[in-house]
Amino acid sequence: MKISMEWLREYVSLTESAETLKEELTMIGLLVEGVEPSATGPVLDIEVTSNRPDCLSHIGVAREVAALYGRRLEMPAVETEFEAASGEVPFGIEIRDPDLCPRYVGLLLDGVTVRESPEWMQRRLEAAGMRPLNNIVDITNYVLLETGHPLHAFDFDRLRGGKIVVGRAREGERMETLDGVGRSLDGQMLLINDGEGPVAIAGVMGGLDSEISPSTTRVLLEAAWFRPESIRRTSRRLGLSTEASYRFERGADWDNTVYSIARACRLIREIAGGRVAGSLKDVYPLKMEPPRIRLESAHIRQLLGVELDDGFVETTLERLGFRVGKEGGGGWDVACPPWRSDMQREADLIEELARFHGYQNIPAEFPPSRTAGAPSRVYALENSVREALAGQGYSEAVNLSFASPADHGEFLPPGGGERVAVANPLTEETEFLRSTLAAGLVRSAKRNFHAGRKRVCLFEIGKVYAPGADGTPGETNTLGVLGTGAFLERNWTSPEAEYGFFHLKGLLGVLFARLRIPSWETEPLRSCGWLSPADGAAVKVAGETVGVMGSLAPELEERYKLKQPVYLAELDLERLGRHAFAPIVYESLPKFPSADRDLSIVVGKEVAWGTIERGILSLGIRELAGIRLMDVYEGEKIPVGKASLSLRLTFLDRERTLTIDRVQDFMNTVLSFLNTNYGAGIRSL
Amino acid sequence: MRETISRLRQSFEEDCAAVTGSEDWKAVRDKYLAREGGLVTGALKKLRELPKEERPAFGQAMNALREFVEDRLDARLQAVKAGERDRKRPFVDVTRPGVPLAPGSAHPIKRLQAEIEEIFVSMGFEVLDLPEIERDYYNFEALNMPPNHPARDAQDTFYFDDATLLRTHCSSVQVHSMETRKPPIRAISTGKVYRRDPFDATHSPMFYQVDVIVVEEGLHMGHLKGMLDVFLKRVFHPGIKMRLRPGFFPFVEPGAEVDISCIFCSGKGCAKCKQSGWIEILGAGMVHPRVLEMSGIRDPRVTGFAWGMGIDRVAILKYGVDDIRLFFDNDLRFLNQF
Ligand SMILES: [Zn+2]
Repeated sequence: MKISMEWLREYVSLTESAETLKEELTMIGLLVEGVEPSATGPVLDIEVTSNRPDCLSHIGVAREVAALYGRRLEMPAVETEFEAASGEVPFGIEIRDPDLCPRYVGLLLDGVTVRESPEWMQRRLEAAGMRPLNNIVDITNYVLLETGHPLHAFDFDRLRGGKIVVGRAREGERMETLDGVGRSLDGQMLLINDGEGPVAIAGVMGGLDSEISPSTTRVLLEAAWFRPESIRRTSRRLGLSTEASYRFERGADWDNTVYSIARACRLIREIAGGRVAGSLKDVYPLKMEPPRIRLESAHIRQLLGVELDDGFVETTLERLGFRVGKEGGGGWDVACPPWRSDMQREADLIEELARFHGYQNIPAEFPPSRTAGAPSRVYALENSVREALAGQGYSEAVNLSFASPADHGEFLPPGGGERVAVANPLTEETEFLRSTLAAGLVRSAKRNFHAGRKRVCLFEIGKVYAPGADGTPGETNTLGVLGTGAFLERNWTSPEAEYGFFHLKGLLGVLFARLRIPSWETEPLRSCGWLSPADGAAVKVAGETVGVMGSLAPELEERYKLKQPVYLAELDLERLGRHAFAPIVYESLPKFPSADRDLSIVVGKEVAWGTIERGILSLGIRELAGIRLMDVYEGEKIPVGKASLSLRLTFLDRERTLTIDRVQDFMNTVLSFLNTNYGAGIRSL
Repeated sequence: MRETISRLRQSFEEDCAAVTGSEDWKAVRDKYLAREGGLVTGALKKLRELPKEERPAFGQAMNALREFVEDRLDARLQAVKAGERDRKRPFVDVTRPGVPLAPGSAHPIKRLQAEIEEIFVSMGFEVLDLPEIERDYYNFEALNMPPNHPARDAQDTFYFDDATLLRTHCSSVQVHSMETRKPPIRAISTGKVYRRDPFDATHSPMFYQVDVIVVEEGLHMGHLKGMLDVFLKRVFHPGIKMRLRPGFFPFVEPGAEVDISCIFCSGKGCAKCKQSGWIEILGAGMVHPRVLEMSGIRDPRVTGFAWGMGIDRVAILKYGVDDIRLFFDNDLRFLNQF
């Protein structure tokens, strides 16, 4: 709201500079965002919060200034004679839907001359950000900026049947508004009709047909009060916000109707000539009363923590237009003014007192503590994941939670999956919520490739979304990891180590160790569309699939024009969390040395390492403390279709020193097992 | 006799000074201290040949000489060994670069989020994990924003259906905590929130917030100021000043906008604070009585306060980031600065 200081001085004496006013109004809740020059001098640009429509006018702001400095508020002169002196022109006002329009005030003027408004008025309108049109329209706008009440002026000779009918529109009814746009209306929108059809959308915008024109001589002025929710709904449905709708939807003052029309009448007679031709009609079927609130001294102290004296309480409220009656028991009966639509409860009154006492004058005090505090379990899990991965050289990414239709088609979660659609997306990019983190991570990698990077290691912790069993959208906290390029970049000490599947798997090993998940495994997975069928794998903990990993599917690699393989893992943190943080139980360090034995076997390529490892473990050799895969060889020296695996077995007896013979016994058991079950031949020992 | 000792000492000092390697050193040691034929050990053996009255003095002098020789030899050996190690050590150009391990990093907003959660836990707060997909009731209605409330304009919302939406703030922590706990309550909720704002340098359809609720008997606005002051000093720095001015949020009354002294100009006035010396940082207030009632708090002695703050906004201010999109681009040149 732009408030001209020169205009403001009409209602309250003001010696303060614009800068002082800026500071002091801000501290009572009228945030002055800036001071701008205008033809009238400095203009304050005030951000008025949506609960204070009364301050969307010069008089409203003047009232605050008067209360702040203890000065008198001078109200402007208005017309007091509303009876047609002679030859009353009849006109009618009918309210069909008083629930949406409890009060409608009309006044008919004749003999006006439509022309430019005087320069002082044009200057003020422009200072407040409005474009002058003609004297009649300018006067309605001027009164709007002065008293805050939206008025409308009809060319009476264009109103068919000489009457106004206020009522809901018919479904699908159409009309053309002042801005020349044809509008289609629904049955909940309130219309101002003449004897035959719509002439204005109530509280929002007038119609083109009854607009004031240079030839207008008879003007019907409207000052009404419309239900805020109704105006807001209409304004939003039509996508049409005006100075009038903005005020009505925040709550206008129903008693300001007669006053504002009287003010406009006076200005029209002064500026445009004319006389009252049709007496003031105040149709007011639903009487409205502002609330009366009981205010207790003890409650002021309770809420603000300061003692305010009774004199201050009464004076402050009275200056703001409240009527304050002292009652027994340390309290007051407070009648709120009708312009304060924000006053509903005692706390609202206490805020008024706090504003004028000054928030800065309330002493700060740290509240005594009566609670212990606790981090969330999710926080502990996320922090461990973050520390583990950042510690391994991965950088944490955050992508928007949205997905475009293309993303969604390309990155379907394993096993297909329904998507969560946004009912009112902003753009195509926000049509869905993401169902995987992979799409965002691949896009992030691509952005880094563009910046000339080859090695990109990222992780993201965030929600992915899917409809629940009952169809309502649900969310799952998820970890996504992406690795590509060099695991270690080429440097003067070593050649480049290219990033691969097993680097990513190694990272998950570190992660699971940090999360104290002792055993986990991967197995082939073909059902995840965005992973390559070559190395797509399910990640399992205690038999439960907690996620997937592998390289990006070749067709996506192509679609994203990637020149290097990209490895991805995606883990359900909620499932993972259920397995994480096994209690720490210390195991004493071995007192006896362990013994390593190496072994090379030749097996069919189809025999998975996991099977061999599980097989050896299933032998139940208590002294077997570890199995490591040391080397894999496929090539000329061994038959086609076979692979040579080098294993290192570690044996340890916690009770006594192992003898060579016992170790050899264990080795024989392992060998004969491998031979019987996988036809493994021993390559060398 | 005294002459013999001083000559012996002088010749040892010369020999010892001439030692350059461990072989030389061994030769010198043997020359003076060998059990058989060592000059010092030999001289000591001559003690018996002296008259009885001269023996104590000579003995003392000889022992002193031996100690001197031993100490000198020890010191010389250390020096010789150090010299030999130096000669053997290969040349290392320590100015060459290290192996290029990747640094890794936590996301700046997530790191701040974690810091903020820790500050609150230390002040007795419980951290609630609340869903991003929220009911209209918890996001708006129970916070005193019924349908068609103008304050909803400021929070243009993504909906799934009439009753389900992406939360526009974390303020639902007020209702959730009061519905499930009895006062005294101190709770926060942090995380992503969403508004239908187009993505540009200063707006994002997704950002991060922390919302705070305290509900206890006897809380007043002074307490709100006291706790805010501690919180803001910890998040920014201990020298920061704050000011509260009246503001409007439907779920608090009285409501306040909270400014901090401009961290770019220390309050003197600059372009970043539009010359005011203050920067708006969060919204706060005493929990609206209607919110307390709707959440089942009936005891009139129980009051509460609440505030909500954008975590991205703090990151922007603290680190001087000039484009909010950088937080979601995941450019490693950006991420690795944190
Ligand atoms: Zn500044």
